[in-house]
Amino acid sequence: MKSFSFLRLSVWFYLAIFFAYLLGPLVIMSVTAFNSPEFPRASPWECLTFEWFSALFQDERILNGIWNSILVGAGTVVLSVAMGLAGALMLTQIWPKLRATYYTIIIAPILIPGVVLGISTLVFWDRINRMLGLGVDSFLSNGLFLTIIGQSTFIASYCMLVLVARLQRYDIALTEAALDLGATHTQAFRKVLLPFMKPAIASAAVLAFLASFENYNTTTFTFGEYPTLTIELAQKVRYGITPAISALAFIIVVLTVFAALANEANIRRKELVAAARKDATVEELESGRMRLPNFFSSNWAAVGLVVLACLTVATVGTATVYSPQQCIADIREQKRLETEQRIQELRQRRAEEAARRAAEEAESGADSTGGQSKPAAGGNSSGFGGAFAPSALGGDSSTDDPDTGADAAPEQDSGSGFGGAFDPNALSGGGDDGN
Amino acid sequence: MPSFLKEFFKRNGVGMGSLMLGLVLFWTIGLIILPQLSMLDFSFRPNLPPPEIGGPKDVYTLENYKYLIFGPEGGSQDYNAVDLRVFFRTLVAAVCVTVFNLIFCYPIAYYLAQTKGNHIRIFALMLIIPYWINEILRAFALRIIFGETGVLNNLFVGLGIFDTPFDFIRNDIALYAGLGYAYILLMIFPIYNVIESLDRNQIEAARDMGASWPMIHRRVVIPYAKPGISSGCTMVFMLSAGALAAPQILGGPSSLWFTQLIYQQFNDNSDWPQGAAYAVVLLVTCILLVLAIMRLFKVNMGDIGK
Amino acid sequence: MSAGVGVDLENLWIRFGDFVAVRDANVKINGGDFFSFLGPSGCGKTTILRAVSGFLEPSEGNVLIGGNNMRGIGPNKRPTALIFQNLALFPLMKVWENITFSMEIKGASAKERRKRADELLDMIALPGQGDKLPSELSGGQRQRVAIARALCAEPDVLLLDEPLSALDLKLRQHMRTELREIQQRVGITFIYITHDQGEALTMSDNIAVMKAGVIDQIADGKTIYNDPATAFAASFVGENNVFRGKVKRIMGDEALISTNRSGDLVARISSANQGKMAEGDDAMMFIRPEAFALAPNGATGDHFITARVNHEEFEGNVFNIFMEGEGGKELKVSIPNLGQSFEDHTGQNITLEYETQNAVAVPAGELAAE
Repeated sequence: MKSFSFLRLSVWFYLAIFFAYLLGPLVIMSVTAFNSPEFPRASPWECLTFEWFSALFQDERILNGIWNSILVGAGTVVLSVAMGLAGALMLTQIWPKLRATYYTIIIAPILIPGVVLGISTLVFWDRINRMLGLGVDSFLSNGLFLTIIGQSTFIASYCMLVLVARLQRYDIALTEAALDLGATHTQAFRKVLLPFMKPAIASAAVLAFLASFENYNTTTFTFGEYPTLTIELAQKVRYGITPAISALAFIIVVLTVFAALANEANIRRKELVAAARKDATVEELESGRMRLPNFFSSNWAAVGLVVLACLTVATVGTATVYSPQQCIADIREQKRLETEQRIQELRQRRAEEAARRAAEEAESGADSTGGQSKPAAGGNSSGFGGAFAPSALGGDSSTDDPDTGADAAPEQDSGSGFGGAFDPNALSGGGDDGN
Repeated sequence: MPSFLKEFFKRNGVGMGSLMLGLVLFWTIGLIILPQLSMLDFSFRPNLPPPEIGGPKDVYTLENYKYLIFGPEGGSQDYNAVDLRVFFRTLVAAVCVTVFNLIFCYPIAYYLAQTKGNHIRIFALMLIIPYWINEILRAFALRIIFGETGVLNNLFVGLGIFDTPFDFIRNDIALYAGLGYAYILLMIFPIYNVIESLDRNQIEAARDMGASWPMIHRRVVIPYAKPGISSGCTMVFMLSAGALAAPQILGGPSSLWFTQLIYQQFNDNSDWPQGAAYAVVLLVTCILLVLAIMRLFKVNMGDIGK
Repeated sequence: MSAGVGVDLENLWIRFGDFVAVRDANVKINGGDFFSFLGPSGCGKTTILRAVSGFLEPSEGNVLIGGNNMRGIGPNKRPTALIFQNLALFPLMKVWENITFSMEIKGASAKERRKRADELLDMIALPGQGDKLPSELSGGQRQRVAIARALCAEPDVLLLDEPLSALDLKLRQHMRTELREIQQRVGITFIYITHDQGEALTMSDNIAVMKAGVIDQIADGKTIYNDPATAFAASFVGENNVFRGKVKRIMGDEALISTNRSGDLVARISSANQGKMAEGDDAMMFIRPEAFALAPNGATGDHFITARVNHEEFEGNVFNIFMEGEGGKELKVSIPNLGQSFEDHTGQNITLEYETQNAVAVPAGELAAE
């Protein structure tokens, strides 16, 4: 029993570490979106601010990148789902001897490095373009076209995998039944196979869009005149980072969590409805008065969804009335004071050092034939600047003591991690703004 | 018309059949096979300005591959030490990332697959959500954490573990953490899928016969999960060896990733054939390594992606 | 529709690569008949059905429906409707949408379809169940929905591919009667595929017995049971005891067969083989368990058999006696229980007698697997 609970404990400990690694960076990044320093950081906490969100929404390049990403995403979804579905259908009926080869070919793009796909797409279509004698501004060298083509090469493989999984549960007799009842092949496809595949097609489309939206390795070679959001982000991140990117990340995280919860809630609801239908009597079904379980009962995802929605509304509400100017001014003032103190301190140290050097010189002059260790030690310790000065030369001058005391106080303050957040001034400033 | 084509059209109808066949041919030949061949062909050609392409100077040459091994002609060194070092470092580091991910993810995959309950659904969501966030943003998040004034350094200095901030980025710790982070899900899912189909009774039978947990994993679970493990390892290895975003954002200024060399050849040097040659080297090496590993573990291509 | 449309198979060959699934089948099915193909799994009966419905193109020969050659005509253009082995109800459509799918294809309005669905639901005794999903019905109900869906297409020929195999025994017996009733009511040709001789015998006007791609015998149920044309038909349909041997003498429509174990026995030559068996030929003789009677011990002659009893069992309506038979196979005898006293013979030798007309001789051939 004891060893069992130990096992349990270690499992939970492992899970905690795992999810901290997985989610911690996202949480910290999200926090930095609300902190006022110019460089994204979670500590020390300075001021709660929403300015990075407005900075984000004023960034033309980001907005343009989002638009390009949506264009590319839409094209990629259509092309890869179509190719993935055709590829999956083909897999179910290809000549058995060709099957393994065929599968290797359509699965290979997942394993080919993204940069290689980008390069090969670029090189190949450039050659086609030249063979057809088209100019550099032709459709085939258009960044949008190349990016969609390049991304679809491997995203179609993902779609194929998703679709094949569902297709394996499809009974080919259903299509035959439709044909037998007089449907054409197209009708059988549209009315029987497609509705059956719909959930998988939806998943494949979402997967394709997300994969396209976040793709960097392939796109970076093909984007041409159409930099996607990811490309813009990468350029920003490489040449200096700002919390505006954290703000964007935060929005994406919230949207993702929202979508995931909505999806989960929907699945749960369907399960409950199906369970209810199974128990329902004919009369209940006919009258349509079947008692459905409450949407929220036994549906944690729905509860989470509502909580998230409330939080979002509250945050946006706060953001519209909140102004961090007072707090930022306070922090700036505090920093200025700190800086001044440091300068003071530095001056003091210089003065000390000068004094000490003078004393040493005097000492060395006096003890030139005395103990060897003492001057050597004094010479070495000079490398540590004033750090050892108070203790080593404690009795040297009485004026040093009050200075070091004053020096220590602000240092402790900034070391607390929360900086000015708990400063009474900052609090009162925030309260004023709230009114 | 060959009989299998006739059969195909009879089964799918002429309209649907042609559409299907057309899409599959476009994908396999137009998007997968021909571009790779075209890149291979291109890597054997000299770097020429556009008007001269197809001209008399456009002949096959091994120049681009020689460059990787021997460096520029008349260079000071016998070998292209810089690029070769980057190449091998990339491969070794990718292997390390893969091994780390496997060790780190196997327990989680096992736990998720063999435990029932509502909290598993929540865990699964928590697993998937980070994967939906942009790759660049994930790398960016790690940079915030590992930066000189990042959360980790503040924490360690604050606790008195370090005296001065530790440069995680220059020491490549940020890069390895980032690569591992990026592909966790790709390691977990294949293993999870396989273990989920393992009959729980097998484990119980083994326990019943007195096997210890390490024994059960070594003799029952791992042999069963082998296709999933090799599939996960293959994906993680290929993707980390071919990663570009994480090295660009998290890599130190002096330590390059091989993909970054390719990127430089294309974008900074405008030497496409040279870049293509490097890409071919990367692709071929990775494929050979993966095939070797697959042979070593006796798994098939068909297991990948399951 | 009332007269019914016949189906003819002419010299039908179906090959898959080197494998011959159907070998030279010639069948004439009369309009309005309930016709069964009976045979063990893998004998090619489903292949024939797929050729009739149009999912398979015969390698040689023709399928004629109502006298029209169907070569090159797709399944959606043939006047047939198929009921699949697993029913193949569309899982995402409601019951009424399933039933009227063939009307939807032709562009009928929802109102029309609803009306027709209600009529058909009444006919299959499932009124008011139209709004359920197939998964919400029981096995027997699904079965009837599949029939209604096929009938809604107003086919000339209804093809059924072992549609009862997924049901439990009781329901299966109930559905036999129901299927037969429906067939008589709508009056169209039913072609039924089964490996269950009970289904074939109870429902069919005519039966074709199939073995490994070859049709052994086409006749009505009674004929097949009493007068089998081949060893396979004799052993596949109903329980039978086999005696192997050689023809010793032909006596008109009777033959004296010297059996390997039980001496010379006399049997009637089945009608399909009369004039085709000669002295010295390998032959087989079949006697049903219920055709024996107990005889005075030690009686000899060409219709007496003496053997040792292995064991006995009481089944209620009959006493079963299992005796040492040929090649390790037991000889089974069923004596009707009419309240007579019945002593235990285990370990003893007993003598049985039979009437010549109840023993059937056919040329030696392959037997049905157990």
